[in-house]
Amino acid sequence: MTNELIDFVLVSVALLGIGIYGLSVKRNAIRMLFAVEIIINAANLNLVAFGRFLPHSGGQTLALFSIAIAAAEVAVGLSLIIVAYRMYQNIDIADFRNLKG
Amino acid sequence: MLEISSTPLVIIAILGTVGVLLPIISIARKEKDSNSFYAVIAFAALIASIGYVAYQFLADNILPSALFSEDVLVDDAFGGFFAIAMLIVAIFTTVGSFNYMRKKNYPAVYYSLILLSTIGMVLVAYSTDLVMLFVAWELMSIPTYVLVGFMKKNPSSNEAALKYFLFGALSSAIIVYGISLSYGLTGSTNIGEVIQGYSTLDPSLLPLALLSVGMFIAGFGFKMGLVPFHQWLPDTYEGAPPTITTLLAAGTKKAGFAATIRIVVLGMVVLNLDWTLALGIIAVMTMTIGNIAAIMQKNLARMLAYSSIAHAGYILIGLAVAPYSSLGLQGSLYQILNHAVMKGAAFIAVAGIVTTLAVTNIDKLKGLGRRMPITSLGLVISLFALAGVPPLAGFWSKIMLFGGALDAGSTIWWAPWLAIAGVLNSALSLAYYGWITRKMYFEGETEKRISEPKSVIAIMIFSIVFLVGFGVYPDPIIKFVEFAAPTISLGIMP
Repeated sequence: MTNELIDFVLVSVALLGIGIYGLSVKRNAIRMLFAVEIIINAANLNLVAFGRFLPHSGGQTLALFSIAIAAAEVAVGLSLIIVAYRMYQNIDIADFRNLKG
Repeated sequence: MLEISSTPLVIIAILGTVGVLLPIISIARKEKDSNSFYAVIAFAALIASIGYVAYQFLADNILPSALFSEDVLVDDAFGGFFAIAMLIVAIFTTVGSFNYMRKKNYPAVYYSLILLSTIGMVLVAYSTDLVMLFVAWELMSIPTYVLVGFMKKNPSSNEAALKYFLFGALSSAIIVYGISLSYGLTGSTNIGEVIQGYSTLDPSLLPLALLSVGMFIAGFGFKMGLVPFHQWLPDTYEGAPPTITTLLAAGTKKAGFAATIRIVVLGMVVLNLDWTLALGIIAVMTMTIGNIAAIMQKNLARMLAYSSIAHAGYILIGLAVAPYSSLGLQGSLYQILNHAVMKGAAFIAVAGIVTTLAVTNIDKLKGLGRRMPITSLGLVISLFALAGVPPLAGFWSKIMLFGGALDAGSTIWWAPWLAIAGVLNSALSLAYYGWITRKMYFEGETEKRISEPKSVIAIMIFSIVFLVGFGVYPDPIIKFVEFAAPTISLGIMP
């Protein structure tokens, strides 16, 4: 087991890439929500890893804040998706076409 | 440490208490359909907050723009300026909702979310620490996701909310990633220390620093509606309840600019690269694409949404030339305040038209000037102010912005082109504003006058007085803007 900062950063960058891929390719609302969550968690991993290698714990504090806020955000997002599902029986955002122009 | 009587803390105390209490009151009261009761409480809280900010300014308790501080919040003139602009927008939204939310469900929750979102916007402008900025940013965003989807039986509102939520969540994820990078590079989350750390950075780490600043621009750019990140904006502004669109267009967008000025403009000055050209290119693209798309729209709300994209471009001119001319940032701040009033009034007029006539299609607005004279007059005045027609208030802020770009021309060759692009775009925007005016006043049968909602009339009269009054006599606002604008220039950094 290595314990180098660069390993954590590489994993975090890989997660960022997966998240951006998911957002740009997938059209299912829940999958897109997952992709956003993966990006937030990539950032959290970064913060915790940097905080581990710096002499103070500011990064870990911010990671805790960000986890709590992400939970609130997911709660709102899932409720919006549930309302959409009740209306359309479907959560494919390519099918939501009321607004365009 | 901040005093307990400092402006941001008092605003949190007033709006937070009222915002949390409103839903509790609504559970305790059995009575249904009491929209105006909650609206009056929310309105009183907002008036108290704006009164406190104004009192702090008049009593000279506010520091000149500091931009940096040891603390997480700083009670400076820059934050106070944005607080006033955003509280005006929140008041517009609340007063407009007197009429719009009548006979609709859950008024208490609606006003409570508006107040909580307003706290977030105000705190974004006051925060000098990235952790505080992120928390404030989310406090601003999460209530607006709910508010956009508030009409849950309406498919458009729901679709708008879902699109807004996905892009908004992405933008905050990108902001956290940018924060994590800048924290890793400089070992601090205080904005002043981050900027300081950037200026002494090892050259081999420079690409990472650029990446973090790029992520801040992208993250804030989603909310501001800059051009590569603007796809969600027209859909959301069209589908959302028009009162909430006021809050988005005039409020959350301005919070994005406040955060950008606090972090990006200064951070990029320190990184000492030719970044201003990139911002200039984004500015020109944003206003051109916004204006061209606006011309083709058939829906009034959608047209105003594209015009709001175009205005993000004008404001960005000031940020792009900020290091070369002090007029740049002053013009941006001036335009931000004016845009808050002009766009707020325009969208409240749309809300009034939607509730009384249930139309937003521009072709159906024929003869509106005779059917709803005061709403139409307010709409037309704010549209012409948006285009920058003298002697309305929008004219002076554009003069200041374009003057700043010309002034910067002595240092950098491309700055005058920004002013030229801005003038051409303003002329272009007159085309579609004029088209709406023509539909409202010169077409259609003579129809009978219908009664207009009183709350909308109140906002229209306020904005007509503001736009015409400060257009004829702009000195007080110009003094205020000069006091609030931070001075930055190349070479003089902390």
